[in-house]
Amino acid sequence: MLKKEINYRNPLVSLGYETEDILPDGGFGAVMAYAGVGKTALLVQMALNTMIREKNILHISLHDAVGKVDVWYHELFQNIAHTFSDGEVKEYWDKIQPYRFIMIFKVENFSVPKLEERLTELMEQNIFKPHTMIIDGFKFDEIGRKPLAHLKELAAKHAIRIWFTVHAHRHEERATNELPVWFLHVADLFEVIVELAAESKEVFIKAIKGKTADSSQKTLLLDPATMLVKNSK
Amino acid sequence: MKSDDTKVRNIGISAHIDSGKTTLTERILYYTKRIHAIHDVKGKDGVGATMDSMDLEKERGITIASAATYCEWKGYEVNIIDTPGHVDFTIEVERSLRVLDGAILVLCAVGGVQSQSITVDQQMKRYKVPCIAFINKCDRSGANPFRVIDQLKSKLGHNAVAMQVPIGLETEAEGVVDLVSMKAFYFDGESGENIRVEEIPQNLLAEAKSKREELVEAASLFSDELTEAILEERQVSEEMLYDALRKGTLKREITPVFMGSAYKNKGVQPMLDGVTYLLPCPSEVENVALDMDKNEEMVFLSNDSEKPIVALAFKLEDGQYGQLTYIRVYQGTVEKGSTIVNVRTGKKVKVGRVVRMHADQMEDVEQLPAGYIGALFGIECSSGDTFVSPGINLTMTSMYVPKPVISLAIVPKDNKAQMAMAKALNRFSKEDPTFKTYVDHETNETIIEGMGELHLDIYVERMKREYNAEVSTGNPRVAYRETITQRADFNYTHKKQTGGSGQFGRIAGYLEPVSDAEFVFENEIHGGSIPTQYIPACEKGFKQSMAKGPKLEFPITGVKVVINDGASHAVDSSDMAFQAAARGAFREAYLRAKPVIHEPIMKVVVETPPEFQGAVMGLLNQRRGMIIGSQDEGVMCVIESQVPLAEMFGFSTVLRSSTQGKAQFTMEFALYRQVPQSIAEKIALEVAQNKKSAA
Repeated sequence: MLKKEINYRNPLVSLGYETEDILPDGGFGAVMAYAGVGKTALLVQMALNTMIREKNILHISLHDAVGKVDVWYHELFQNIAHTFSDGEVKEYWDKIQPYRFIMIFKVENFSVPKLEERLTELMEQNIFKPHTMIIDGFKFDEIGRKPLAHLKELAAKHAIRIWFTVHAHRHEERATNELPVWFLHVADLFEVIVELAAESKEVFIKAIKGKTADSSQKTLLLDPATMLVKNSK
Repeated sequence: MKSDDTKVRNIGISAHIDSGKTTLTERILYYTKRIHAIHDVKGKDGVGATMDSMDLEKERGITIASAATYCEWKGYEVNIIDTPGHVDFTIEVERSLRVLDGAILVLCAVGGVQSQSITVDQQMKRYKVPCIAFINKCDRSGANPFRVIDQLKSKLGHNAVAMQVPIGLETEAEGVVDLVSMKAFYFDGESGENIRVEEIPQNLLAEAKSKREELVEAASLFSDELTEAILEERQVSEEMLYDALRKGTLKREITPVFMGSAYKNKGVQPMLDGVTYLLPCPSEVENVALDMDKNEEMVFLSNDSEKPIVALAFKLEDGQYGQLTYIRVYQGTVEKGSTIVNVRTGKKVKVGRVVRMHADQMEDVEQLPAGYIGALFGIECSSGDTFVSPGINLTMTSMYVPKPVISLAIVPKDNKAQMAMAKALNRFSKEDPTFKTYVDHETNETIIEGMGELHLDIYVERMKREYNAEVSTGNPRVAYRETITQRADFNYTHKKQTGGSGQFGRIAGYLEPVSDAEFVFENEIHGGSIPTQYIPACEKGFKQSMAKGPKLEFPITGVKVVINDGASHAVDSSDMAFQAAARGAFREAYLRAKPVIHEPIMKVVVETPPEFQGAVMGLLNQRRGMIIGSQDEGVMCVIESQVPLAEMFGFSTVLRSSTQGKAQFTMEFALYRQVPQSIAEKIALEVAQNKKSAA
C-alpha cells in the first residue's frame, strides 16, 4: 500500500496556464522543436501528469513501436518518482498504467478516418475513452488542412484534447509569429503552441501561441539529463 | 572428428512458431548430406521432418524438445540445436541459447517480426548470442523481405543489413543476388541442390548496387581497412567485407540478413555459408564458470581441450537405451572411459558411451573436445548440472528459471498407470526445470505445475504416449499468492505449562507490507527480552507461516516482520516454543493486516488482421485484460495486453472462432497483481468449497 502520493504537476503549468489540462475540450496543442530536443519527452511528462490525475491518455505514435513508447513512460516516471523505492514505483505504476493506451500506426498508413474507426471501437466497447490524446510524428508539411480540421471536429465531438509534436527544421523560413511558414495553414486550429529550443547545453520551453498574461515573462528550463523541468526564469 | 575449433560452429535456430525453422533445419541436413530425403512437417508422406523426433511433435507439426544434431558444411562442423517456437517452452530455448555460440533468427517474409521473435531476441540478448537472420517463406503471397529488415531495425533495434536481394518474390521466387560476390544464385535440381551462379539480371542490377553500398557502409564501421579502401576508392574484396561483417556480428552490433524459401529449396546454402563465415567458433566466445571453492568467484574458461574438463548437461532425454544426457564441453575433453564429477552431487561417474546426435539417431565417438556438443549414456544427473574433472570445483552459471504459474491435479487411472506416472514425472521434472510436481497432502492429489496450459497439456499427453500412463486431469489452477496491505501489531504468548516439560515464549512486534522483497525479518529487541539464541527460531516460525495463508492457504509474499519485545522462561523456553509463538503471532496479526490475493498476469500478444481488431480487443477486455497498445502493421495488427492467467483458459478456441482462425496469440508470465475485490470473494468461496469436498 502506498504511503505517499506522487505530486507531479503538468510541466507547462509553470508557464502560467491556469489548469492542468492547459487545453480546453476539443483543443489542439503543439510542442515544436528540432529533432532530438525532447518533444516526445515533454509530451510524455504531460501524459504522466494526466495519468496521475487518473484521466485517460491515448498516445499515438507514427514512428516508434509500442515497446519503445513504453520505455519513454517508464524512464520518465522513474525520474519523476525518484524519491520512491523500487517497489513503490512499481506499485504506483500498476495503479496509473490502465489510464494509458498506446496506438501505433505507420506514418503512411495513418489517416483520420482510420483513427476515428479505432477510437469508436474502443469507446463503443467501453474499453478506453481518452481524456487527452498525443499524436507523435504527424507530418504537417505533407498533410493538408482538411484532415486536421476533421480531427478537430472529432476532438470536439468527444471532448478530447490533442497534443501534437511538430518537427521544425533549422534552415526554414519563419513567419513573424515565430512559426514555420509551412505550419501557418493549420496554425489557427491550435489553441496553444510551445517551442523547445536548445541553447548551448540547455533546453528552454517558451510559449508561442496561447500565452497567458503571465507566461509572456516566463521561460522554462529542462534538465537535459532527466528531461524534467528544472526551474523557470 | 575435427579438432580444429575454428572450424566448429554451435548454432541454434530460433523463431516464432510456424516460421518454418524445422523445415529449414531439414534442408540444412539434406544439403549437408546428413539425410538423403526431405520429409516435410505435417507432410503427406507421414514421415515428418527429421528433427521432430517425438510422435507428438510430428502430429502437431510443432517442435517441442530441442533435438541436437550436427552436420558438415564445406569443411566446417556445424552443431545445430533446433529450438521450440512456443513461449510455453521457452526454458528449452533459454537452455539452448546458453550452450550455443551463435544463432539463426528465422523470420517469416510475410509475418515479419512477430511476438515470439521479440521474446527469442530478448533471450539472445540476455545470453549475448551473436546472430544472423534468415527471412524465410519468400515464396508466399505478400512476402516482402525488406519490410522485415525494417522491422528488425524498428522493433528489435537490430542494425540489420541485407546480404542478398531476392530474384523474384512470391510465386516468382527464383533465387538470390549475393551482395558480397555480386553474383546471382539459382537453385536447380529436384531439391535445389545444384547452385547455378550467373551474372545479376539487368533489372536487379541498380537495386543490387544500391543495397551493396548500404552493406559496405554498414560493415565499414567495424574495419579500418575497409574504410580506407572505400575512401581510396579501391576494390572491396569479399574477404575484407566478410571480415568486417564478422567483427560486427560477433559484437552483436550488426545483423546480416539472408533470405529465401526453405520449403521451395531456395537460399539455404548461402545462409549456411553465412553461418561459417559470420558466426563465432567456440574459442571466440567468452564462457564463465563459478569457482565453488572461492566463494563463487568468476573463472573464465579457455576452451582448451588439454585443460581439466568443464561440461554442462543442458538436456536430458529418456531413450530406449536409458537416459541420454546432452552436454556441451566448455573446457577439456570428455573421453570414453574417463572419470568426471557431478559438481552438484559430488558423485564421480565413469563416462561410458559418448555419442553425437542426429535427431533420434546417434553415432558413437571416442571423445568430445572443448567447444563440442554431444551426448553421454548412463549418466544420472539433472538438467543444468555441471561435470568437471576430479579435483576442480567449478560450476557453470546457473540458468534463470521462471517460477511456475499454473498447476493441475492429475489422477492415475489404475495402479499400473500410477507406477508409470511416477516414472514419467520423475523424468520430466529432471528434464525441464520449469515443470514441477508434488503431492498435496490434504487432498492426496498429485499436482503438476508449469508455465502455461499448453505446457502441462503436452506433458500429460507425453505421459500417455511415452509411459503408457493413463491419467485424468482436474481443472487447471492458478498460482495465487497472498500479501498484506497494512501494518498490524502482535503480542502473542505461547504457553503450555501443564504437566511434563513446559513451553513458553512471548513475542511482540508488528507485520507490515514490503513491496520489493518476499520476506524481511528485523530484530529490534534491545535488552534481551528474548534471548539471542531464540531469535533464529522466531524467524523460522514466521517464515514457516509464509508458506500458507491462514485463510485462503495461498503462499504469502511481501511481508516484513519486526519483533521488538518478548519474554522467555529460564526452563520452559526453547527453539520449539519460540517457533510456535512466532506462528501464533503471525496468525494473530495477519488478518488484521488486511490480506489481499495477488494473481499471475500474463503478457498476451495477439496478431490479427485489422478487421478483427475491435473484436479481439473486446475479447481481451472481457477477460479483465488491460490493453497496453495496438500496432497497425498494414496487413496485420498486433495487440499487446496484460491479462490475468485465470481468465485465459480456453482463449485459443474463442479467439479462433471470433477471427475465422486468422488471429494467433502468444502468452508469457509478466507479473503478479492484486485481484479485484469481487474476484477475491469468488476465489475465497471456491477455496472453501474445495476444502469442504476434500474433507
